[in-house]
Amino acid sequence: MNIAHHEMSFWRRYIFSTDHKVIGFQYLITGLIMAAIGGYLAYVFRYNLAFPAESIPLFGSLGPKEYNAFITSHGAIMIFWVAMPLLLAALGNLLIPTMIGTDDMAFPTLNMLSYWFFFLSAIVLLLSFFVPSGPFDGGWTLYPPLSADAYINTEPDIWKSFMTGGTLIILALALEFVSMLMGGINFLVTTINKRAKGMTLLKMPIVVWFINFAVIDFMFSVGPIIAGAFMLLLDRVAGTGFFDAYRGGDPVLFQHMFWFFGHPEVYVLLFPSLGVIAEVISTFSRKALFGYKFIIKASLIAIVLSVVVWAHHQFIAGIDPRMATFFSIGTILISIPFAGIMLSYIATLWGGNIQLKVPMMWALGFIAIFLVGGLTGLYLGSDTFDIYVHDTSFVVAHFHYTLFPITFFGFFAAFYYWFPKFTGRMYNTVLAKIHFWFTFIFFQGFAFPIFFLGLDGQHRRINDYSAFDSLMSSWHISFRQFATISAIILILSQFIFLFNLLKSLRSGKKSEENPWKANTLEWQTTSPPPHGNFVKYPQVYRDPYDYGNPDMKEDYLPQNKVI
Amino acid sequence: MKQILPENISTYGGEVDSLFFTITLFVVLAFAISIAALIIPLFRYRYKEGRKSSRVRGIGMKQMRWVFAGMLVMALCDFYMLYAEHSTWVKMEETLPEQEDFHVVITGRQWNWIFTYPGPDNKLYTADDVIVNRMNSSLHVPAGKNIIIDIKAIDVIHSVFFKNIRLKQDAIPGRTITRWFNVTKPGKYEIACAEICGVLHSKMRSYLVVQEEDEFNRFLSELYAEKQK
Repeated sequence: MNIAHHEMSFWRRYIFSTDHKVIGFQYLITGLIMAAIGGYLAYVFRYNLAFPAESIPLFGSLGPKEYNAFITSHGAIMIFWVAMPLLLAALGNLLIPTMIGTDDMAFPTLNMLSYWFFFLSAIVLLLSFFVPSGPFDGGWTLYPPLSADAYINTEPDIWKSFMTGGTLIILALALEFVSMLMGGINFLVTTINKRAKGMTLLKMPIVVWFINFAVIDFMFSVGPIIAGAFMLLLDRVAGTGFFDAYRGGDPVLFQHMFWFFGHPEVYVLLFPSLGVIAEVISTFSRKALFGYKFIIKASLIAIVLSVVVWAHHQFIAGIDPRMATFFSIGTILISIPFAGIMLSYIATLWGGNIQLKVPMMWALGFIAIFLVGGLTGLYLGSDTFDIYVHDTSFVVAHFHYTLFPITFFGFFAAFYYWFPKFTGRMYNTVLAKIHFWFTFIFFQGFAFPIFFLGLDGQHRRINDYSAFDSLMSSWHISFRQFATISAIILILSQFIFLFNLLKSLRSGKKSEENPWKANTLEWQTTSPPPHGNFVKYPQVYRDPYDYGNPDMKEDYLPQNKVI
Repeated sequence: MKQILPENISTYGGEVDSLFFTITLFVVLAFAISIAALIIPLFRYRYKEGRKSSRVRGIGMKQMRWVFAGMLVMALCDFYMLYAEHSTWVKMEETLPEQEDFHVVITGRQWNWIFTYPGPDNKLYTADDVIVNRMNSSLHVPAGKNIIIDIKAIDVIHSVFFKNIRLKQDAIPGRTITRWFNVTKPGKYEIACAEICGVLHSKMRSYLVVQEEDEFNRFLSELYAEKQK
């Protein structure tokens, strides 16, 4: 970055920076480092699952307690320390000010604090790998009573009861929520108050809408889990019995508090990703996004529905069976607005002038994979069939088919789309396409066999299936090995991305201002944008998707262009 | 080639399996149509220099008709599925059979299932109940009878999973959750714990032993004799 502005020390400029672009990069780098850790954990326990007796290369042998700790940490890291920073925080920081045509966030200092709280939360989580108890090993959903062992009874030392994996993960989550709340309020205020002249709400790019929808959904739903996590913390360190059935508490109450947040959380991650896909598809189809207003309305319906479906995670958790019917209906209903959104994206392609460039490939890959993830949700949304597949590998395959495209295909689509803008350099497109095909193919190889293992009744979170003869037939073993080998290749192929990233940063070709000939405002300034983003604040005259205008020579018409 | 779902031995399991095939039909159809709609334009509308794209933006009912049609089909499939599955849900989860033939208690603890059989008085929760509490133990039940199970847990949440019955139920400390099944095929089947319950979660396995009635009665009298000793 060659930002020439008033003199600031290195610390102020790059570490404790209040510049939204630097903060965006900080989130991005932290998220990628955490993704590497989450991927490494996945490699270790998948290897153990496929080849139980063998020692794991680059790790050693994995006991059942470590196995449980690793699957727990993998889940928590990938959702809260990879998907959240990459999709919500990094994209929100980089895109909102540049796309609405302003210089920075509404509250730059709060923005900086938000990142440092996030950084602290990651450190607290990683600390749990170095405490005597090891990282928490009861599943990322933290269900008590397993997570509520009151260590105070055996360890009267309060410091020691704090320094356990379970307590640290709760604290880390709390810090992360603080960080995302600070970042989120900043996104909302910035979007509402700092839009360029002429940019009415309905002239905003859909990704800005969607990041704000994600923030709103997060804020609606995060309250109960903060209360629940605090009560769980007290159960652990102060010996209270909020979730202890023998002392008047209720273990299932925590599940309600967790999933009241936990289900909308999926949409918190989905919305920014869907927004990115919308931008990419419109730009590379050279055609207006189909049904802009409809997509916004459908998303609002989905947000409302998202907070009344949580108990579909608990169909067999001992809730009143009559209540399950209500949640089953809600869950199934939510498929309707999302079907509308996906069909609108597909309709955008029809009648377009489609360029299959790298970001477009990731966007189309996202839709293909997410279709499988969304449709397999029907099996789980049906309360009756969920009795059978709940807590089996079918669920594992299902949520990898949703969260993997959301997190990685969404992120990589964004990365390959905006990389030239924010670094001023172009990447190697051949390597980027190889990266895409490896990721796309080996993801299927990893996740698809797991559907069949789950349908055959393979229950999840098991480090060694040898106690179950019916799950040890030769096809079970070879399916598990096939999934593991695919997962390992999937992880290894990310080194193509890493190599491409580092090489392009050092010696990539200089990028033009607007290499994709896109309409939104961030493309109408230099690459990378200067400090303050725009030399002259843009005035917006039209919506962001004016492609293929017959009155123009070019097939695109930037939002701020004077005719 | 192996069947997709494992063998079913319960009276209601067949309904769950046919629900699976109904949903699969919807899913495969919806996926095939959507993927075709995704791939065809990539060829049909390949980039041509100088060509301008369509200006259709999806405004109004007329332009949105295909999207709405897709949503309508989705909604119809959804409601058909909910309609088709609901009677099975009521049967499995909301009601118990009128005639109770045999009643046992299944209790989860770290890390085995405890089975409590009624004593010679044929009533549960009395002093002569027989408790079987050891790892790898079996739950014996008579074939073709309505078995009522009380599901409990002592320490943490467990989840009793009879995959051949298509029944799974979390066991919650402090609660008694009652479910039922009727199994028709004698044999030995696995019972797993499906909810992560600690270090030896992977080893928490029992067997369901389905026996003909006389064989089962012999098992019970042996169990009582063993308790007398």
